[in-house]
Amino acid sequence: MSALLGAWRNQPVLLVLALLWVGLISAIALFQPHILNVYTFTGILQFASILALVSLGQSLVILAGGAGIDLSVGGNVSLTAVLTMMALVAGLDAGWMPLLCVAIGAGLGLTNGILVTRLGFYPLIVTLGTFYIYSGVALALTGGSAISGVPTWSLTWGRGSWGVIPLPFLTLVLPAFIMAAIILSLTSWGRWIYAMGYNERSARLVGIPVDRVRILLYTLGGALSGLAALVSLAWLGSARPNIGVNLELESLTAAMLGGIAIFGGRGHVFGVFAAVILLVTLKTAMLQMGFNTVLQVGVVGLLLILVLLADRLSQHRG
Amino acid sequence: MALVTARNVTKRFGALTALQGVDLDIRKGEVLALLGDNGAGKSTFIKILAGAHSQSEGELRIEGRPVSFSSPRDAAEAGVATIYQELALSENLSIAENVFLGREITRRVLGVPFLRSRAMRERVAELLEELDAHISDPAAPVGSLSGGQRQAVAICRALNLNAKLVIMDEPTAALAVAETRKVLALTRRLAERGCAVLLISHNISDVFEVADRIVVFRRGRKIAERERRATDPEEIVSFITGAHPDVRALEQANL
Ligand SMILES: Nc1ncnc2c1ncn2[C@@H]1O[C@H](COP(=O)(O)OP(=O)(O)OP(=O)(O)O)[C@@H](O)[C@H]1O
Ligand SMILES: [Mg+2]
Repeated sequence: MSALLGAWRNQPVLLVLALLWVGLISAIALFQPHILNVYTFTGILQFASILALVSLGQSLVILAGGAGIDLSVGGNVSLTAVLTMMALVAGLDAGWMPLLCVAIGAGLGLTNGILVTRLGFYPLIVTLGTFYIYSGVALALTGGSAISGVPTWSLTWGRGSWGVIPLPFLTLVLPAFIMAAIILSLTSWGRWIYAMGYNERSARLVGIPVDRVRILLYTLGGALSGLAALVSLAWLGSARPNIGVNLELESLTAAMLGGIAIFGGRGHVFGVFAAVILLVTLKTAMLQMGFNTVLQVGVVGLLLILVLLADRLSQHRG
Repeated sequence: MALVTARNVTKRFGALTALQGVDLDIRKGEVLALLGDNGAGKSTFIKILAGAHSQSEGELRIEGRPVSFSSPRDAAEAGVATIYQELALSENLSIAENVFLGREITRRVLGVPFLRSRAMRERVAELLEELDAHISDPAAPVGSLSGGQRQAVAICRALNLNAKLVIMDEPTAALAVAETRKVLALTRRLAERGCAVLLISHNISDVFEVADRIVVFRRGRKIAERERRATDPEEIVSFITGAHPDVRALEQANL
């Protein structure tokens, strides 16, 4: 009991998310016991991979403050997938696919970073603009249809699993989160991100290269969207110009649910990871139970408010 | 020799002259108080010393070498640390993390700078002990500290940078009496360690308690410079308000 209390004080978000997840699983076990099996589990992790990568990038951008936000993540994923496949169709060696995804995603993120830091535009506006551009171009280039021709070796990876764990989850999502957690909590770069996220003026006064760090984080966020595009290609077998739809909203929800403060400087990526798993489990369960989409969105919103409330309460006590 | 020598330092903001031909020496081991009415040019002067502004005219020398700072970082490298009116601390980080922020002790593994948290905490505990700051836990978050304790953290930071000149802009403005006493004591201790301290304050009794020398600015000019022992609060106040006959004469001459 005292351990639980301690966890509540240190990681209220993580605890609430874990409790909600247990509650959710119990509800499924009660009402839909037949879907409670390893295939569903694997499926959840498979669906979670794209959202997890994108949400990690979103969280880093928000954490660094300066009203940081990236609304273009969905457009980035769609456009990166489309451009990469177009390059392969045009004859580029298929071995370049992973690198190309990362490079294009990073380039699109870098564009955001430059517009935000060098030209001083408001991140919300910049990334809303690039969101329209990226997703518009993806749609225009394909006329709305998917581009097939993903190399088969990548499908082996994208659809494969090790035991019950999908390979993209094992080889990309887990390492990415572990690396982010290590950098944030154990290195000076992490201290700088938290410092500039909380109090940018003081971070500048002590000589932290705030603009450079921020550009780098937008670029890194873009690269993570690029990896999400890679996962989508290797999983679905084609580049779909609408693959990124709604990712900006879902990644924002995951970041907020996961305890990343919208003003920056507070939060941990473990919370974001837990939030992604919870969100995808919830969506899967609702899909299985035949909830309509409107209701699904409503439930996610309700969840967001509940977790924020729990966070508030725990802060009043601490 | 003076640690810092300022000669004919002038700063213009467009048509406005915020500082006009200031000559000033700051010596090692002294607390030099800078006084003046609102808008006298005190903050402008220390911002030039701290590298936040560059002067329009004039020369700065530190230990005899001419310096020109284009950023606060340059100034910090030359040994000038500034403790701003609104403290530059990150409340979401610990005391030790704040003291080392931007200059962490790290061990590079594959180029990644991993924090040596224990080394930093130990160093900060030492500094806090030395300053007699009555803060026991360097890992405590700065958000939980009182105003005076925050000043102590900022002073620790300056010490840790091996600052030769520590500039303090109204460090006691927001503090209650007991906390003010402590910060003034810390200020003295800095000077005893051999730092030069430049203190800006509007509080005459604080200044007379802690300063060795007093300089008064008025309308961008240095109008008085006194050893504390050779003056009294009335005289200093008359310089600040412009009631002193010398100031009258000077201002007449400059019209
Ligand atoms: N960045 C700036 N741009 C234009 N004018 C400025 C700027 N900074 C200061 N000034 C002007 O320069 C003059 C001196 O200001 P300064 O802030 O140095 O005064 P101060 O002595 O610090 O006053 P206070 O006691 O109120 O802090 C004022 O007239 C002020 O309006
Ligand atoms: Mg001032």
